[in-house]
Amino acid sequence: MPSDSHLHIQNVSKKFGDVDALRDVDLKVERGSFVCLLGPSGCGKTTLLRIIAGFETASKGQLILDGTDISDRPPHKRGFGMVFQSLALFPHMSVAKNIGYGLKLRGVKGVARRRRVDELLDVIQLPDIADRPVSALSGGQRQRVAIARALAIRPPLFLLDEPLSALDAKLRDSMQIELRQLQQKFGVTTVLVTHDQHEAMMLADQLVVLKDGAVRQSASPSQVYNHPADSFVADCLGAANLIDVGAIKGGAVDLFATRVLSQKPHNDGDHMLAALRAEHVELTPITATGTQPVGTVSFMRNLGPSTECVVNVQGKDLRVRATNVQKQGLDVGAQVALTFDPAQVSLFKAV
Amino acid sequence: MRIGLLPTERGGSYRSVIIFLAICGILMSSLPVIVVTIMSLSAADTTGFPPDALSLRWYSEVIAMFTTKDANSARSVVVSTLTSLLVEVIVMVVSTGVCIPLAYALARGETRICSGMELLFTLPLVFPLVILGIAFLLIAESLRLDIRIWRIVIPHVALVLPFVLRNCLSAMSGIGIELEEAAVSLGAPPLRAIWDVVIPMMKAGILAGLIFALVISFNEFTITFFMYTVDVSTLPIWMYSRTVSSLDPSTLALSVFIIVADIVLIVLVDKLIAGRANLF
Repeated sequence: MPSDSHLHIQNVSKKFGDVDALRDVDLKVERGSFVCLLGPSGCGKTTLLRIIAGFETASKGQLILDGTDISDRPPHKRGFGMVFQSLALFPHMSVAKNIGYGLKLRGVKGVARRRRVDELLDVIQLPDIADRPVSALSGGQRQRVAIARALAIRPPLFLLDEPLSALDAKLRDSMQIELRQLQQKFGVTTVLVTHDQHEAMMLADQLVVLKDGAVRQSASPSQVYNHPADSFVADCLGAANLIDVGAIKGGAVDLFATRVLSQKPHNDGDHMLAALRAEHVELTPITATGTQPVGTVSFMRNLGPSTECVVNVQGKDLRVRATNVQKQGLDVGAQVALTFDPAQVSLFKAV
Repeated sequence: MRIGLLPTERGGSYRSVIIFLAICGILMSSLPVIVVTIMSLSAADTTGFPPDALSLRWYSEVIAMFTTKDANSARSVVVSTLTSLLVEVIVMVVSTGVCIPLAYALARGETRICSGMELLFTLPLVFPLVILGIAFLLIAESLRLDIRIWRIVIPHVALVLPFVLRNCLSAMSGIGIELEEAAVSLGAPPLRAIWDVVIPMMKAGILAGLIFALVISFNEFTITFFMYTVDVSTLPIWMYSRTVSSLDPSTLALSVFIIVADIVLIVLVDKLIAGRANLF
């Protein structure tokens, strides 16, 4: 049966001895889209990428590329460009030779090869480093060279294994934007592995959250963020507070004296967890009249754009990332009420 | 000499101690070479030290030894020198040819097996050389094969392998599997990836191994003493047999030639291989 998507990972499972690294992963990747595999270490995301690259073989399942089963094709015949976590630039070759290596293997000679290398050096905005040894480059430059080397061969699929994890936070941030722009420019279907949820949100068209070798949710980043499939996904993306809200009654629960309606049907009496994001809560000071206090501010730190707070509610700590705290003159020890939009709260059945 | 050292508690440094130790070391290792070189310049017929007068006559004697056409001894020194060189080249080629793939396999395999194999290949080093010579002689005689130059090459390879293997292994240790995977992902078949990435990166280790093989094989005496025949003999054996009969300074002059030749060979290997950006 021909598949309409570009890459179809069909019921792939992988066992290492007795350990299930992947269980029945089934994913469809659209042509030209950017897919991020997100999950904690040991969730199988790197294994899945290595299966796509061909460095590991799946114990079960197929890889379908443009309707052709490529499960048994050796990695050097797949022609997928890959960027490794360690970058794996060839230290004994110059930058130009690194980028041109894949072209050399494809029999692209002399001037044509040089032209393509120059073209890529232009794209990564490093036109003058062609003859430098790799060891003379900075971290960000190496990063770009590794990306250029993988893209030089015009791969049908571009694979990246936590490529930005070695960079410092600021450089990582700008490289994320650059990587996304490069991917758009080349229109290449891309699969990136990361454990950094910010990076995943920044880059992905399709975000795949993995845990213990199984896909927990696969959707657009905003869908995953706003409508997490389960409490693990909610916790994985952004600072979510998971609050035990007891049994559901009439399709709604009571969260800090606010009625929250469940978006999905649940049986009355099911034990529920509510996921309330730190950035979806605002603090309200207790004035003489009206509002009932809910908790006490036990920690507060101004981060510039927002203020990170911990509010102690009935003996439990609640993370709040508020934007209006400074204006309200709140400080540690203040009694506060919490304001949030019930529509932004996700409810899950407690396991 | 400037030596950067941390100061001691009393504000001084151990500078003088280090210089003293360095001088001791240099003297110990170079004294024989210096003595031999001085004595080879002696004008006398005997090897007394220090020589009473200096001359270059023993050097011309050595040159005459190699160039004289018909003299019996002249033929044998030329032949044994050529044999030495041939043995050395074959030992270099064979030992690196064995050790590069072996080091690759061991480095990519299990650590436990790797250290076990390394120990196994180091065995010839801890064996007393005389016993090793007898053992190789017994094997060669019991096989009753006419293996000509290989009767010397094979023991030499066994002796040289641990050095070459160790050098290749330490070179392999810095080459991560992901470098090969990167080459493969760019379209290189696995063997091509090894050829293009692993071998050039092992270059320094291979080179060090080659130099060890070269020097050890060229100077090997003990085992060769058991293995040589009338037809197949090396230069150290010839020199020994000559000093047994008469110790005249011509042997010393010859050894100065050998020292120079060793240095030239080492520099040559170094230039040939390390001097260029790529091994091939």
